Amino acid sequence: MFSITALRTSLFALWLLAAGGGIVVISNYQDRQGSVGSTPEQWPAVRQISLNHDHDTLVMFAHPQCPCTRASVEELNRLLAQCRGRIAAYVLFFKPGQLPGNWTKTDLKQSAAAIPGVTVRDDPDGMLARTFGAETSGYVLLYDPRGRLLFRGGITAGRGHAGDNAGENAIVSLVAGQSTSLQGTPVYGCSLLSQSCSRRGASQ
Amino acid sequence: MNSSTETSNGAGDAISVRAAELFKEQQQNIIRHTDRIFSWLMPCQWLASVAIALWISPRTWAGVDSQIHPHVWFAIFLGGAITSLPVFLARTQPGKMLTRQTIAIGQMLMSALLIHLTGGRIETHFHVFGSLAILAFYRDWRVLISASAVVYVDHLLRGFFWPESVYGVLHAPIWRSFEHAGWVMFEVTFLMISIRKSLSEMHLVAERQARLEAVNETIERTVAERTLALTLENTERQRTEEQLRKSQTQLAQAQQIASLGSWEWDLVENRVTWSEETKQLYGRTPEELGSPMEHCLKRVHPEDLPRVNQIMAESLRTHEPFVCDHRVILPDGKERVLQGRGEIQLNGEGKPIKMFGTVQDITETKRAEDALRRSEEQLRQSQKMEAVGRLAGGVAHDFNNLLTVIEGYCGLSLQEMKETHPLYKHIQEILRAAERASSLTGQLLAFSRKQFLQPRVLQLNEVVQKMEKMLRRLIGEDVELSTVFDAALGRVQADPHQIEQVILNLAVNARDAMPRGGKLTIKTANITVDQKSSFRNRVLEPGEYIMLAISDNGLGMTDDVKSHLFEPFFTTKGLGKGTGLGLATCYGIICQSGGDIRVYSEPNSGTTFKIYLPRTDAVPEPAASSDAKLIPGGTESILVVEDDSAVRKLAVVILRGRGYQVQESNNAFEALELIRKNSRFDLVITDVIMPQMSGKELCDQIKGQLPQTRVLLMSGYTDDALAHHGILDEELSFLEKPFSPARLARKVREVLDAPDVPGRFHPNGKKQTPVELVS
Repeated sequence: MFSITALRTSLFALWLLAAGGGIVVISNYQDRQGSVGSTPEQWPAVRQISLNHDHDTLVMFAHPQCPCTRASVEELNRLLAQCRGRIAAYVLFFKPGQLPGNWTKTDLKQSAAAIPGVTVRDDPDGMLARTFGAETSGYVLLYDPRGRLLFRGGITAGRGHAGDNAGENAIVSLVAGQSTSLQGTPVYGCSLLSQSCSRRGASQ
Repeated sequence: MNSSTETSNGAGDAISVRAAELFKEQQQNIIRHTDRIFSWLMPCQWLASVAIALWISPRTWAGVDSQIHPHVWFAIFLGGAITSLPVFLARTQPGKMLTRQTIAIGQMLMSALLIHLTGGRIETHFHVFGSLAILAFYRDWRVLISASAVVYVDHLLRGFFWPESVYGVLHAPIWRSFEHAGWVMFEVTFLMISIRKSLSEMHLVAERQARLEAVNETIERTVAERTLALTLENTERQRTEEQLRKSQTQLAQAQQIASLGSWEWDLVENRVTWSEETKQLYGRTPEELGSPMEHCLKRVHPEDLPRVNQIMAESLRTHEPFVCDHRVILPDGKERVLQGRGEIQLNGEGKPIKMFGTVQDITETKRAEDALRRSEEQLRQSQKMEAVGRLAGGVAHDFNNLLTVIEGYCGLSLQEMKETHPLYKHIQEILRAAERASSLTGQLLAFSRKQFLQPRVLQLNEVVQKMEKMLRRLIGEDVELSTVFDAALGRVQADPHQIEQVILNLAVNARDAMPRGGKLTIKTANITVDQKSSFRNRVLEPGEYIMLAISDNGLGMTDDVKSHLFEPFFTTKGLGKGTGLGLATCYGIICQSGGDIRVYSEPNSGTTFKIYLPRTDAVPEPAASSDAKLIPGGTESILVVEDDSAVRKLAVVILRGRGYQVQESNNAFEALELIRKNSRFDLVITDVIMPQMSGKELCDQIKGQLPQTRVLLMSGYTDDALAHHGILDEELSFLEKPFSPARLARKVREVLDAPDVPGRFHPNGKKQTPVELVS
């Protein structure tokens, strides 16, 4: 009788440990930050996008197939809704050159294009991403009209996790002209560039 | 009062205990049911999590490179891990606390997983609240506590380690963890209130059910008791009905065997019911059951119906039981005799309301009674005849002795006296009177069938022809005599003198029945009787018969007269005109001759007597030629033994007169003494009936001592008496009293001259069987 109870208890404890551990693991995975490259402090000279000299310019790098970036796009929508008319926004979707053009025509891209005030551009082979030091999908940069970097990081609380987050709040404050001590947040998403791309970009 | 209170308390405790049992049972059922729900829900959730992962984040990318998204693996493995134990326990050990607690924790962990998989969507958080609501199905607040604890811990830890993922900020105070938990507790609080209320209702329901069960149990116990009682009663009733049926069957069988039926007359409704046997006895149909009494009496013989009605009416008036024998005519025309018995049933006011009784077929009984009555009548007649016969036999001995003496001496006197003698005619009258007396004695013996018959082979035509002249003279000129003879008429064996006597008697009766003249017809015929024929309890066996019919067209007879016709001393001729012995004598003679006599007569239609005698093929013997005038004599030595001195002396005188040497003795002992002294006797003549030693014994002793001495027995007694003394068993010489001197002389000569063994019994000079004598 005792052994059965102990067995049950042990089984229950094992199960609880496994399940709880699993939750911890998934929570940890959710909070695992993506890598960030070297982002220029001043708006670089690029032709595909241009700095808005009247308003702050927001640039988001996104992987068209990344499921976690959906939350970033949603948060972008919320963010732009708060900053409408005071910010210019670009969403640059990674587009590898060797793949067909419809590879980037995803729901995610369409969702981004549907956000008012957002300009969607393809980023062939991640050239701009490399220029701006973006390595993780959902990486957001904010430059003021003079081209100075105001903010860099992610606008989600976790991987694919929509909702209030520090990055979004910081951007809203910056756009509103308020000062904030937070100038960067973790970014959660897929890697924009594959190892080969990264190596190629790095070599370039 | 106390006991009732205790009983009430006891019942209340029992109800409480039962209510607790029912509550637990119901709770267990709910828990098990909820376990089953989760046993299906959690696998579904697991599959849903996999599907969500595959849909939302199937792959993770790195540039153009991709691989399966970790969420898919989490959904598969972590979701599977979370689901496995709760489902296993729910399936294998439903109803246990560990099972539902595991389910509660697992369900909340599954909520956490789903929230993760959906990117923390607020909508997915509804899974938490939905799960709590479903967990509330257990109606066990403890599982809600466990579930809430999991939610809170998860939230607390995530807020501590990954605050931005929970609160949207990089740093959050601890109190914010209570915000999330507060909403959970908000729901849990109301769920617990709901659970409490639900449990309370369950208690109430359980108590009501317990009470209902108690009532049901009481009712069922009562029903069972009543059912048992009813079953027993029913069984008893069935047994009683079976016994009743058996009794009724036995009664019906008994009634059938006894030909005894029962009936009942409802006087109020005038309906008559009856048993099966009564129906059979009256030849009723089933449709007639319950018909009025008037209808039921239709089968009663019309001659008996008034009497039956009168008896029943009298019984209704007097309220006394009744017995009523009556005849009924059945539908097939047969007539039966029934004996009805009835009694009256009165109501409280003493008024008759019912008549009931029995009816029994007494047809056979009646027939038996009639037969018995006839037998008794016959017995009475036989006894009467026996009495008369005894009387006749009794007087015959002495009377015949007297007549022997009278006739003997008259005969001797007439032999020695000339016809011119003045006394000759006087003596002749004396002799005729003696002969009539002798005839009368013979008639007395004849009707009592104790007559000493001397049968011969006869042809009745010849007998009648010989009598014709005498009959014409006897019946007178105003009566015509007609004879119709069968030319091929057979022969009979009978005593001719007795047959003549019968014809004579019947002719005289016929004449008397025709006072104004008429016709007397005598007819003979051969008759063949094919089957037994009864008349006056005499049976005529099948065979060949000779019929002698004597008919007249005179007054005829009534049935009553016919019924007494052959009785001795019965006469319709008036005082002094008839002895009443004629037809009785005829009847006795015919019966003694092995025949039968039957009478056919109707008032004013004449009478016919038919005499049937057995036909015989024997040849008639030629008539013995005898010279009646010749009286033989002799010189032999003769001893006369006779206790009656007058008869003895007469015999001695007659025999001495014929030249014989005669000695006399008045008893057998003296005779034996004389024989010893003188052994030269040629013949011993001895009376049969004597005191001390009979003639037969004397005869036996003589034959022992003197075998050559011949013995002649003489007696005026009946054949029965002779048979008693063994006379008829042997062929002995016998002389019947009364005898005339000539008869004695001839008999003595006959015996002495007989060539064979002396002492043979030759009444008519020839051998005769005892049977013939007796008959």
